Amino acid sequence: MKAIIIDDENLARELIKAYLKKFDQVEVIAECADGFEGLKAIQQHSPDLVFLDIQMPKITGFEMLELIENPPVVIFSTAFDQYAIKAFELNATDYLLKPYSEDRFAEAVKKAIARVGQQETNQKELENLKEARTEQEQLDRVVVKTGNKIHILALNQVHHFEAQDDYVAIHTDQGKFLKLLRMKALENGLPEDDFVRIHRSHIVNVKQIEKLELYEKDSYILYLKNGQQLPVSRSGHSRLKEVLKY
Amino acid sequence: MQHPFLKNKNFIPYVITWLLITAVFGFALYNFYELSWQAALVDSIIFHTLFMGLGLAYWFNVRYSSFDKSQIVNQMASHLAAAAISILVGVFLFKLIIMSLVHDEYYEEFLDASIPLRAALGVLYYAIVVLIYYLILYYDDLNQKSKRQSQLETMLKSSELEMLKSQINPHFIFNSLNSISSLTIIAPERAREMVVKLSDFLRYSLGKENDQMNTVEDEINNIMLYLDIERVRFGERLKVEKEVSDQVKGMKLPNLILQPLFENAIKHGIYESLGEITIELKARREGSLLKIEVSNEFDPQAVSRKGKGIGLKNVRERLSLIYGVAQLVEVHKTDRIFTVRLDIPQIETEV
Repeated sequence: MKAIIIDDENLARELIKAYLKKFDQVEVIAECADGFEGLKAIQQHSPDLVFLDIQMPKITGFEMLELIENPPVVIFSTAFDQYAIKAFELNATDYLLKPYSEDRFAEAVKKAIARVGQQETNQKELENLKEARTEQEQLDRVVVKTGNKIHILALNQVHHFEAQDDYVAIHTDQGKFLKLLRMKALENGLPEDDFVRIHRSHIVNVKQIEKLELYEKDSYILYLKNGQQLPVSRSGHSRLKEVLKY
Repeated sequence: MQHPFLKNKNFIPYVITWLLITAVFGFALYNFYELSWQAALVDSIIFHTLFMGLGLAYWFNVRYSSFDKSQIVNQMASHLAAAAISILVGVFLFKLIIMSLVHDEYYEEFLDASIPLRAALGVLYYAIVVLIYYLILYYDDLNQKSKRQSQLETMLKSSELEMLKSQINPHFIFNSLNSISSLTIIAPERAREMVVKLSDFLRYSLGKENDQMNTVEDEINNIMLYLDIERVRFGERLKVEKEVSDQVKGMKLPNLILQPLFENAIKHGIYESLGEITIELKARREGSLLKIEVSNEFDPQAVSRKGKGIGLKNVRERLSLIYGVAQLVEVHKTDRIFTVRLDIPQIETEV
């Protein structure tokens, strides 16, 4: 069974390796100090098991996971991240709270090993975790991947989000990016004073709004500063009214 | 500060006071100088209206000079000059106006004879109005001081734990404990060393009273402990440079005031970047000020996560409460380096 350890602290990785000595069947094939390296290693080795720290430089463990299409079984660890812990608990996901005992570690690994091979259950659970997390914690940036390049988009660079089947298209200063994400989960995670869902398929950054025009009875067209025009539904219009207070 | 007689409804008592003086003066003219009641009334109204107006202007002479004892000669001179000018202007204008209104030989004779008396009255009015302004300023200052004092007290009352929570990141503690756990397996001696360092750091940070002033030397030693512990976690990635002049070591600064600055430096420097980060501490003396500068490199491409500005805001608030001066904290940001500068006054600040 192949495992990868992703943690920005060397000693934390050493501890996991030391504890893993009792598990002959688990072989550590890579160690990574950040999410970028982690992503690369996962794509290269397709491990069965990943030890993943949440708080890391550049992108968090969660953000890294979002970029992976067929995620392996993950054992999360964190020292102190209230939002993450709440999300784990809501979703009944097992996680390690640093520092943890050898017994606790062994228990988590056994549970994880039992789940290896159940790809569908695993994927579903991680998907639910992602949603539990957007409900707990407000997004402050969005991480996307194009080819081999990872982009970290600050929310103020985003003009609007557009639903495209299972994906969300993110229109920004630097162009358009696609991310596997549900519109509802995205809406929950965005700061509500800055982003408004104006339509079933559109969420707009209110700072990017140029003007709103009546199109016909009860239906409006929104012009963005970049010239783009977006439809506004009736309920979208009332949400817009609430946020912009007009 | 706004003009005390023009703000809110304070001009009402001011005007009423002058009306009373006008009435008394008018009555005296009528009674003792045997003017017609019309002439007495017009005289008193014009004379006092002029001084009521001038009285408002005296404020600026009080407001823009300080209580400072070393300035006392300057202040006296400025008051003498202001009094002389205002009396000359007041009396001259009065004479000009009244001459055009009252044409009576007896009155004109009286007017000429009364000029010295009016000048003396002008001096008296000047002195009284200025005195009142000083009292207002003094009272206001006292008020502000007691307000600040009570604010400071409520802040101190908030439990010690609350304070510590805002100053020592729980992330740091639990991650350090995890590092220790790891070291017990791979390097037990280093684990013991780190336990001792962490204990020393916590003992210093927990053991101090919130309102305590500590020496620069003690505070910096504690910060170095903190950075040492972080270096165990982050290894070579964290570089620390220190430039502290000997003459500041005995100077005083508020308990743990530097801690949030270094937490920020670690958070935005180390936590958000993949490479090496240098954190720099400089402390020097400038006159009676202790000048401290904390700077850290950061990755300009990092899209920072939340929690921004709370630590810095706390430092700002604490300093302005303790010293009663705003702007003791200055922040400077270039595309690679973030710097915070503190000016710590060296005065008796027993709380």
